[in-house]
Amino acid sequence: MLELNHITKIYNAGQITETCLFNDFSLNFHDGDFVSVVGSNGSGKTSLLNIICGTIPIDGGAVLLDGKDISEMPEYARYRQIGRVYQNPAMGSCPDLTIAENMALADCKGKRYGLQRGVNGKRLAHYRELLSTLGLGLENKLDIPVGSLSGGQRQAMSLLMATMTPIRFLILDEHTAALDPKTAETIMELTDRIVKQKHLTAIMVTHNLRYAVEYGNRMLMLHKGEIVLEKAAEEKAATRVSDLLSLFNEISVECGN
Amino acid sequence: MLALFGTLEVFIKMGLVYSLLAMGYYVSYTLLDFPDLTVEGTFLGGAVTYGLLVTHGCNPWLALILAFLMGAAFGTLTGVLHVKLKIRPLLCGILVSTGLISLNLVATSAGVMGDFRGESASTITYGRSLTTLHNSFPADLIPAKIHGISLRDVLLFLLIALLFKLLLDLFLKTRRGMLLRATGNNAQFVTTLAKDAGNNKILGLAIGNGFAAVSGVLYSHVTGNVNQSMGIGTVVIGLASLIIGLSVFHKVRLLKPTTKVILGAIIYQACLTLVNRLGVPTAYNKLVMALLFVLALILGDRVLRRNTKSKKTQEKER
Repeated sequence: MLELNHITKIYNAGQITETCLFNDFSLNFHDGDFVSVVGSNGSGKTSLLNIICGTIPIDGGAVLLDGKDISEMPEYARYRQIGRVYQNPAMGSCPDLTIAENMALADCKGKRYGLQRGVNGKRLAHYRELLSTLGLGLENKLDIPVGSLSGGQRQAMSLLMATMTPIRFLILDEHTAALDPKTAETIMELTDRIVKQKHLTAIMVTHNLRYAVEYGNRMLMLHKGEIVLEKAAEEKAATRVSDLLSLFNEISVECGN
Repeated sequence: MLALFGTLEVFIKMGLVYSLLAMGYYVSYTLLDFPDLTVEGTFLGGAVTYGLLVTHGCNPWLALILAFLMGAAFGTLTGVLHVKLKIRPLLCGILVSTGLISLNLVATSAGVMGDFRGESASTITYGRSLTTLHNSFPADLIPAKIHGISLRDVLLFLLIALLFKLLLDLFLKTRRGMLLRATGNNAQFVTTLAKDAGNNKILGLAIGNGFAAVSGVLYSHVTGNVNQSMGIGTVVIGLASLIIGLSVFHKVRLLKPTTKVILGAIIYQACLTLVNRLGVPTAYNKLVMALLFVLALILGDRVLRRNTKSKKTQEKER
């Protein structure tokens, strides 16, 4: 279980632009949860993910993993248990390395990166098989650099690579936002399949209210660093996009937008 | 005819000397995008280490390896300053290479005359009878002069350059080498692989400066001594060789980047030699070097921009 306990996060502390995003913010993620998080810009969605992963430091409170405080653990060490896919498809792979090399790097996560041969020939068949599940024909392009793939192809690969090795948490940071509607749909279905197959605990930030409603067993709406709506299980299943949208509008009116 | 061969020998030899520096820059500058100025100090530092060791009777090949390690150590220092203390790349290099100015001088003085105040000696001279790379195995298998032209150094340097190129190529294909390439490409990706990207930067700088140190060793063989001013201008030579190599041969897919860089270093030296042959006095050399580098940058930039443009249009077409 992953817990956020009484988190405080202040941006630009001590400056005139000081803003307190989270003040005494607490949230629990149970194993096997698929949580979708929605909210307007600046509501703290991405900050929430960055706090979990250790990308940004916190100013108070604690992040607990199975009851153990990991607030001081550096970002890279946390990724031993976490896979992450970013909004920008370019973030999840290396453009100058070939597909095979990227897959091999992801395949070694959790192992030692020593002077062994980088791309193990015996694993290539496995990579091909994994890539073929994407249905994009990438399995026949192992030797081309990832930089020459399209955004959708790269994002599909990012997702595959992030979940290749045994991890517990999958962090999805608006991972369909930069894709065209059809590709976004494909990636979303793929995400759902992988999460179910590997029994991952997933946290997905999205601007797509339909995805938030359709996928996952739990849903949160954030506003100015607070949870303004939380629905789980049957309650969530009964939620419609229109319900979310009207709440969204209310909040926006409050803000004067 | 003989004069032509003599000229050929000179610039190929010098090109091979600097090809190591340029290969080091391939790692730190091209792969990791780190403009490393430390090489000004480690180029000389390598020569000092090697020179002192061989004049005290050390096996030259062992001395070469130790010179590499010395360069790597100071590259590591630059990396630590940048990664752990968050100092800007350019400043890190300036700081370490400035410190090395004193260290090199004191080491020379202490090694030659035993004076730790650094006031007694500033050069290390290789005597004729001294056992160096030039006259030990395997270079001693090659006759000193063939038809009046000495090929021994060229072949020796070629051997060393190819050896280091091969090792670098092999390394870049290993898991750690791939991770290093990934670090320059997309550091965040390395972080999500649960690895500290900073450590890979440090490793890259260590390699880059190790190569620079070996380059300095070879240079001291050309001049026959180690003097304190030989490091000046290495940044320009290294980067110019690298950029010339990568841009001239950018379309040649068959060549590995390391091969292109070696060829680039030779082309750069050929240009310099040509300028001298046209009657420009050697005193103008550093100026000519800088101008040639500007030329290389402009041409290299054009080539690269054309490349990215074509990539973008390709993406649009898709």
